[in-house]
Amino acid sequence: MIASATLGLSLCRSCHTRFLPTDGPCPKCGSVDCVSYAGSAVGKVLAATELHYPATGWQAPHRLALIELPDAVRVLAVVDGPTPAPGALAEVRLDKDVYRARSEPTR
Amino acid sequence: MTVHVASVGMGRFGKRPEGLIDLSAEAAHLALEGIGRKPIDLLVVGSMFAHGPHGRESLLPRLAGRLGLETASGYRVDSSSGTGGMAFHAAVLALETGRFDRALVVSAEKMTDRSTAENTKDLSSSLHVSEVASGATMPALAAIVTSRYMERHGLTSRVCDVATVHARAMAARNPNAHFQKPVTLEEVANSRPVALPLRLLHCSAISDGATAMVLEKGTGPATVLGLGQGFDALRIVDREDLTSFAATRIAARRAYESAHLTRKEINVLEVHDAFSPFTLIHLEDLGFCGPGEALEWFEKDWVGLNGRLPVNPSGGVVGRGHPVAASGLAEVAEVALQLRGEAGAHSIGTRPKIGLAQTISGIASHNLVTILGREAS
Repeated sequence: MIASATLGLSLCRSCHTRFLPTDGPCPKCGSVDCVSYAGSAVGKVLAATELHYPATGWQAPHRLALIELPDAVRVLAVVDGPTPAPGALAEVRLDKDVYRARSEPTR
Repeated sequence: MTVHVASVGMGRFGKRPEGLIDLSAEAAHLALEGIGRKPIDLLVVGSMFAHGPHGRESLLPRLAGRLGLETASGYRVDSSSGTGGMAFHAAVLALETGRFDRALVVSAEKMTDRSTAENTKDLSSSLHVSEVASGATMPALAAIVTSRYMERHGLTSRVCDVATVHARAMAARNPNAHFQKPVTLEEVANSRPVALPLRLLHCSAISDGATAMVLEKGTGPATVLGLGQGFDALRIVDREDLTSFAATRIAARRAYESAHLTRKEINVLEVHDAFSPFTLIHLEDLGFCGPGEALEWFEKDWVGLNGRLPVNPSGGVVGRGHPVAASGLAEVAEVALQLRGEAGAHSIGTRPKIGLAQTISGIASHNLVTILGREAS
């Protein structure tokens, strides 16, 4: 995991909410006056699941994690590797239209 | 203008051979017989899948014609899995204007003739496209919520098991429920994984079914005392808290305020447990206990038929089955049946005076709370 890895995020210039995914208006106030910026790609796993009946196009077991990046930005990411425990660190990257995460134990 | 539930009509939920119109008509006829077939001037229908390429479009005119309601006004509502609750609220609001005298509300779904993949895809329409693009489904996001709830409160998946055992014990007393047999903690814990920590028996089942109800102006044994709705961010990443549903808290506050009462006056509760651990979250969001405290209510059976607050005496969504649009109306119907003394083998120990029904849409993005009472406030 690279602590300095970055990820493209969005900042709402109206209400200053930072958010992912970057497409679309601000989820808090609906403003379209948003700018892109590079933020840390490393965050903490809040929750995760191992899905045995994923949506069409995905293979089981399919793992998803809710990850909190700095500034309280949250992202739902496909996990490459085993299901991470809550609290584990994860690095997030954008792969086409899907966020993917790789995690490692916190200790 | 006061409105009351004059009659309830429900057929059996489960795998049924009939189509959507036949299921709807069956429930509607039962409700109409309950009022001696008095004239209906408003028909409100709800169905999540009654449109699109499945040959089920136009439920409203087809059902109106089937029931001989050519002179009634009507409309169809949709709020995904909250559709039934929304149909009830829409009918009450229309009657309260004074424009109509008597409404028939019918909410129904036909699901078992479709593949699991088709149902999963259509149910996912209530999720955000970015979540679905990641392979998420309803159970996946419910699992994320459950995982977070367990982590936050230091709990294990036993919370899910206990809630399912309760739901199935209640359903076993309800002849209209999809599931007629109780289950043990071991059976639940060993059922096949769906989206861990959620297993098959923690999840509501694909079912066919319909619920109908006649609402009239005036008061009766099941009078509408309070209504409330609330919304929350569709994407779970945009929510401030995952272990509590803001939409329920908003809806409950509005319902309590409009009914001029507090949760202490509620005698029976029917909540939307699309996934069994949601029952615990709902109990907390409705104000009956603090965050993370609901497990004790199940462990001590305070939620049983003779408990301090019977919860989901119908079996809830997990026990009764989940024909999605029908469930929300079934929740209100169960409270009405309890208040009217018509719940039969699943009647709670003491006939209640006031009951509350809660319904959720999707992963709790649009929630509704309905309070009914034996007397107008």
